This record gives sequence, C-alpha cells and structure tokens, in this order.
Amino acid sequence: MKEECRQTLEQAYMLLDGEQVADLDRRSIQEHLEACAPCYERYGLEREVKGIIARLQGCTTCPDKLRERIAYLLEFDR
Amino acid sequence: MAERARAELTSEDKARFQTEALPLLDSLYAGALRMTRNPADAEDLVQETMLRAYRSFDRFEPGTNLKAWLFRIMTNAYINTYRKKQREPQKVSQDEVEEFDLYQELKNHDPQFSSTPESIVLDQLVDTDIIEAIEDLPDQFRLAVILSDVEGFSYAEMAEIMDVPMGTVMSRLHRGRKALQKRLWELARDRGIVRGAPKS
Repeated sequence: MKEECRQTLEQAYMLLDGEQVADLDRRSIQEHLEACAPCYERYGLEREVKGIIARLQGCTTCPDKLRERIAYLLEFDR
Repeated sequence: MAERARAELTSEDKARFQTEALPLLDSLYAGALRMTRNPADAEDLVQETMLRAYRSFDRFEPGTNLKAWLFRIMTNAYINTYRKKQREPQKVSQDEVEEFDLYQELKNHDPQFSSTPESIVLDQLVDTDIIEAIEDLPDQFRLAVILSDVEGFSYAEMAEIMDVPMGTVMSRLHRGRKALQKRLWELARDRGIVRGAPKS
C-alpha cells in the first residue's frame, strides 16, 4: 500500500472513531478518499464493520437475580 | 496485595453509588459476557467488580467518567482472575489476521464489488453470528473492539481501561476489526451467504 494511502486511512479511522482531527487534515482526508477508490472502499468496510459490532449495543441486559444480589450485597456491606 | 484501610463511605457516597453505578449494570454485564464468554463467570465478574468499586468509591473523582472507571476495575479483575480460565481455544490467530484483506477478498469474490449498502454480504449476518465472531477473537482484540464499538469509549479512555499506551489501543482496535472481518467472512461462507467451500 502506498504510504499516502496508509497515512490517510489511519487518520480516516481516527475520524470514524470520533477522535480529534485537525480541519486541514479532515479536508485532505476527504480529498484523498474522493480520488482514491481502494481507500474509499477500505474506509467504507471499516465503517461497515464498526456498524455491525455496534448492533450489539443495548442487546444484553443484566439478569434480574444478579441485580438483586448486588443491591443486597451493597446494602449490607460495611 | 495488602488491603488498604478502607475509608468509611459517607451515606451520601453510598446513595450516590447506588443511583449512578447501578444503572450501568446492563453495560457491565454485556461487557463481562463478551470478555468471559460464559454467563456464570460474567455474573461473578460483575459482582466482584461492583463490590470492589463500591469499596473504593472514595477514590473515584466525581465528574469523571464512572463507566470508564468501572470498566477499568472490571478489566483488571478479568485479567487477574478469569483470563487464566480460558475455556475454549480461540479460532483466529493473531498472525493469520495480518494477511487477511477483506477488500481483496470481496473483489476476488465479485470483481464488480463496491461497498454500497446493498452489496455488503456481512450485513446479512444475524446478531448471534456477530457475537460468535467476536467471541472467537483473541482477548486483546475482543476487548478493544467491544470497548470502542459497543461501549463507545474514546481512545484515551480505552488506554486507561486497558492500561496500555494509546498507540497500542489503536493498533489492537484496527487489527481486532480486521480479525473480525475475517471471521465474519468465514461465517458468511459457512452460512452460504457467499460462495466457497465452508471451513471444515
């Protein structure tokens, strides 16, 4: 992979994860992705996988019995 | 490790813990379940975490991220106690991951491939497939991926929780997603969503 592509993708992934990226860099990332099809696709895949994992948000709840047991233990802990 | 003399929690602290920490049990349990891959261990881990947290709540700095603080305690407890009890071998080796390139795989599978929403095969997998794929990941990758993409922690928070530098967080996260892509791809193949001989 070209160095420019590698660096752009690394920054693009940071953006995807809501990390701070300078405005100037943001623009050059966008420009590169618009011009480079493989990078555009790879970024899309990373975003896709992140979205798939995020489907699990909120799908598991703490069992009631565990919740009760913990509340009980906290109540009576010194 | 010697027990430090436990500072007495004020009744305000106790009440504050109840109102602020108990609502986070769903997240904690979900995280514990992904870490231990076993409901019984997950329950023990959550219980142990909550007790430890409660007893050291005087050390929690108000206004900072309580969920991150709890996950830090839980991750430590997991590493120290449960990780030694690995029950099943993991199906993705860290080395295999480096070679795998989903983009290339999809291109090979379909030269016209472009990652438009309709053409993404991975989207057809159901939640149980996703959970199975995540649970097949090596520990460090699995942890990074759930902390970031399920729980929404920042890199800095993850660095605290995992007790590693931010560079390591980013590396594990990216490699973890790559490993997951590979595993999801294999599952898609096994389910017949994509053509190819299923893995025996």
